[in-house]
Amino acid sequence: MRRLTAFDRIYAAAMLIFPRAFRSRFGREMRDMAQDRMAEARLRGRAAAFIESTRLLADIAATAPSAWTILRRERTSYVAPATVPYPRDHMDVLTQDLRFAFRGLLRRPAFTIVAVLTLALGIGATTAIFSVVNAVLIRALPYPDPDRLVMLWSVQGSQHGQPVAYLDYHDWRARTHSFVDMGVMRGQSLNLTGGDAPDRVTGSFVSASLFRVTGTKMARGRSFTDAETELASKAPVAIVQYETWRTRFAGDSSLVGKSLILNGTAFTVVGVTAPNSQIPYGAADVYLPMPYYPNAHGFDRGVTSAYAVGRLKPGVTLEAATRDIAAVAKQIEAAYPETNRGVSAEVESVKEALVGRVRDSLYIMLGAVGLVLLIACANIANLQLARSASRSRELSVRAALGAGRGRIVQQLLTESVVLSVVGGIAGIGIALALTKLLVTLVGGALPVEPTDIRLDGPVLLFALGVSVATGLLFGVAPALQASRADLNDTLRSRVATFASRRTRNLLVVVQLALSLALLACAGLLTRSLIALQGVDPGFDGRNLLTAQFRLPAAKYDTPEKIATMFAQTAAELRSIPGVQAAALVRASPFSQNGESYPVSAEGKPETFATDAPSMLLNAVTPGYFSTMRIPVLAGRDIGETDRADAALVIVVNKSYAEETWPGEPAIGKRVKVGGDGWRTVVGVVGDAKHYTLNEHQLLQGYVPHAQRPQIFTSIVVRTIGNPLALSKAVREAIWRVDRDQPVWRFRAMEQDLSAVVQTKRAMMLLTGLFATAALIVAVVGVYGVLSYTMTQRTQEVGIRIALGADGRAVTRMVVGEGARIIGIAVVIGLAISAGATRLLRSQLFGIQPNDLTTFAIVTVALSTVAIAACYLPARRASRVDPMVALRSD
Amino acid sequence: MGDEKGTREARRACPDLIPAGSSLSLAHYIRNGYSALVPKLDPAAHLPLTPVVLHILLALVDGERHGYAIAQEVEALTDGQVRMGPGTLYGSIQRMLTASLIDEVSAPKHASSDDERRRYYRMTPFGRRVLELELDRLVDVVRLARAKKLVREPRTT
Repeated sequence: MRRLTAFDRIYAAAMLIFPRAFRSRFGREMRDMAQDRMAEARLRGRAAAFIESTRLLADIAATAPSAWTILRRERTSYVAPATVPYPRDHMDVLTQDLRFAFRGLLRRPAFTIVAVLTLALGIGATTAIFSVVNAVLIRALPYPDPDRLVMLWSVQGSQHGQPVAYLDYHDWRARTHSFVDMGVMRGQSLNLTGGDAPDRVTGSFVSASLFRVTGTKMARGRSFTDAETELASKAPVAIVQYETWRTRFAGDSSLVGKSLILNGTAFTVVGVTAPNSQIPYGAADVYLPMPYYPNAHGFDRGVTSAYAVGRLKPGVTLEAATRDIAAVAKQIEAAYPETNRGVSAEVESVKEALVGRVRDSLYIMLGAVGLVLLIACANIANLQLARSASRSRELSVRAALGAGRGRIVQQLLTESVVLSVVGGIAGIGIALALTKLLVTLVGGALPVEPTDIRLDGPVLLFALGVSVATGLLFGVAPALQASRADLNDTLRSRVATFASRRTRNLLVVVQLALSLALLACAGLLTRSLIALQGVDPGFDGRNLLTAQFRLPAAKYDTPEKIATMFAQTAAELRSIPGVQAAALVRASPFSQNGESYPVSAEGKPETFATDAPSMLLNAVTPGYFSTMRIPVLAGRDIGETDRADAALVIVVNKSYAEETWPGEPAIGKRVKVGGDGWRTVVGVVGDAKHYTLNEHQLLQGYVPHAQRPQIFTSIVVRTIGNPLALSKAVREAIWRVDRDQPVWRFRAMEQDLSAVVQTKRAMMLLTGLFATAALIVAVVGVYGVLSYTMTQRTQEVGIRIALGADGRAVTRMVVGEGARIIGIAVVIGLAISAGATRLLRSQLFGIQPNDLTTFAIVTVALSTVAIAACYLPARRASRVDPMVALRSD
Repeated sequence: MGDEKGTREARRACPDLIPAGSSLSLAHYIRNGYSALVPKLDPAAHLPLTPVVLHILLALVDGERHGYAIAQEVEALTDGQVRMGPGTLYGSIQRMLTASLIDEVSAPKHASSDDERRRYYRMTPFGRRVLELELDRLVDVVRLARAKKLVREPRTT
């Protein structure tokens, strides 16, 4: 071994400026060569040696930069130079497959654009719907340990999920063992006075335990104490919701400790909640202790108007908790049979209570959009099949060279997944736009804040998952097909078409069948929306203004004061120019307010409260029916003579009269309802809808306001022009009666009527949109398959024409082939529809899920469009020049 | 090499996959998992050659050599006019490998034990085409210069 000279060491050190890969490949040879050169030079003297050493070092310095750039190019280039190690692990193969896939896609821009757009639409729509599903059904509720948070309901006979009586709640809380604690609340709006103008805030009357159960923290001040919210030791204290504190009180840092005049009473603010505090069924601007609930009967046993929330002890199941609470309810029933007969209790998770009602709609939408995605997959699979026919030679060469079937399938699947992931990324853009649209369309009907519906981590992960799954789904058929191709056939450039054609036909059948099912769903939803919009609400909703107010109980403490106030208000309203008629009513239709009571008729068998028919009881001032244009069918309207001291009277609706006294006149009969004495029926009026359009017709009773004075009221005003234009005049009319009286919720009745169908309309629109998209994609699929088959059969058609077949016969043949595919698809599609539409049952109104007319209409529509799509390739085929056709190979 | 006939066949069947002029063999393609992409090699893209590359190719015309041997051969062929340092030599070798102008081969049987540790290189068919094109180009240049009477006529004895 030669002794290392000083130069050798310097040279070795200088070599460090080369990339490591370069050094490990050439380093030793370079050092050997440099040593040789130096040894030669030293023979020629020290000067020569010095010059040589300088030259050698300069040589390194000059070449190092290009060594780096070459190395980088080598890393990124698709050439595997002989000296780069061959791929040994899967990642290397995968990287190569990916590169190959990208290049392949770029080389076929038309196919790539069509496929990416289709996928982007499908994945985008699915992701958008999923973002709603995620926000509503999947994301955890904003409470600590939300799984243990439950709603406590009373069960009245067969009616589940009813609010609870305060005293029942008290007993449940004391006697059950399954709960850490329970809280209770009752919502009601509050009149806030003492500011510039009388104002109305939403209020919630709560127990101190409610904040503990829901885990609501205070940002400022303190929470209520248990004593403050007990009936015996109540204290006038208030807690303000953080957002209300920010907006209405401008974040006033001295609010805690100040007094608010609410419903005419001074309450001291003791706390402000933490931001974004939510309480199921009870979120409000201001929280007050439960005992201040302004209803004389509010704390009677049997008055069920409170919402109760509980927190389960760890490990207690819903069933066990329900058994526990039902057992206590049984004891209460035994102790108070006159109020609690047939009253039980049940436990439901808060999540279920909040989202149960929209879950079906959401899953239906997710299913519908999933179907669209499936159809898009089938379409792309078909495009891929057509493509792989033209690629069969390339694949055969690969196979001939020894690429295993698995290897080829893997390569083709990689291409599909690359395609779908690119589509998915584009789809996220579409999802962003669609989500915004969805929030505007249905946001109001969802139990979450619109801002909660967003594309967050889980949603993006979902989009990625769907993309990959989609790629595998539409890639697997073409990949298997291609890898199965017979080498001999393809290498001799004969395309094995039969199997491929069968697969393609099958895919088209799937597309058409799924489209038919979607069309059937959209058809049913459309027809049920039409039916819903055709429902007669029982009154004339045009040019009708409604608003609400409530009187402070402290100021209006006698029935006379209330009656005077109402009479004056009605008179003031009627005096407004542009007002045709006006009246006051406890709860106007579609305001979502209303009170129902058990009703019993004289002479009919006595029933217990919970078994008795329930009557929606409304207190009205004279002129209500004429204002609403509800027809008086028999007897008379409620008049000015029906005062508090006159005989008790009631007007019932047609349904109640016919159900209770079939074939008999109702006038003069007597009924007992709502804790009052016997009332004589003086009139029968037409049925009217109250909560929503598709409700089962309620039994209704109307009593004179004077005979059942209540501090809550709505006003209904029949106007000549645009009802909302009179809002200001109406407000001022009421202020002429009482300067401190806030009025809120000015609505045109038509707004409320359309809001009732809004969700249904959005759902119909979306399903319709999805169905149309599906139909278009499927029809394009039919067209594509037939065109492709026809191109392949040009020769055959040419022979037929040469042998004398005329154009019409050829057209018939081609259309006939299309018709066979469509026929099979329709049969399968109808079978799928029969199953799919059943899931819609809860969403339908006035129509059965297996409505034959709808099925017939969509079948005809689909067949017509699909046959039309066959006609184009058929016409082209019939015009084939036999000579050209026969010459073509 | 046994592969070559196969490579030709495959190339004919599927020109897209293994372009003509490529030095990469079928074996390479197969070992790369059937998806190694091979660029369409364009000899014209390499022209004109740098003097070092031109001389390395000329030195490899007679057969495979290791790096130092190439340098020595170039020096000998040019009467010491072209004398490259190790960095220039191996930098060029690396670049030529990447461009598929040359290939690395195993040491020949006659190599001494010292030489055996070295890497041997040979010109690829693609490298030969590039060299031929470059020489054609140079001949054209010389012919042009001759027409302008810049160069003496070669003496024909």
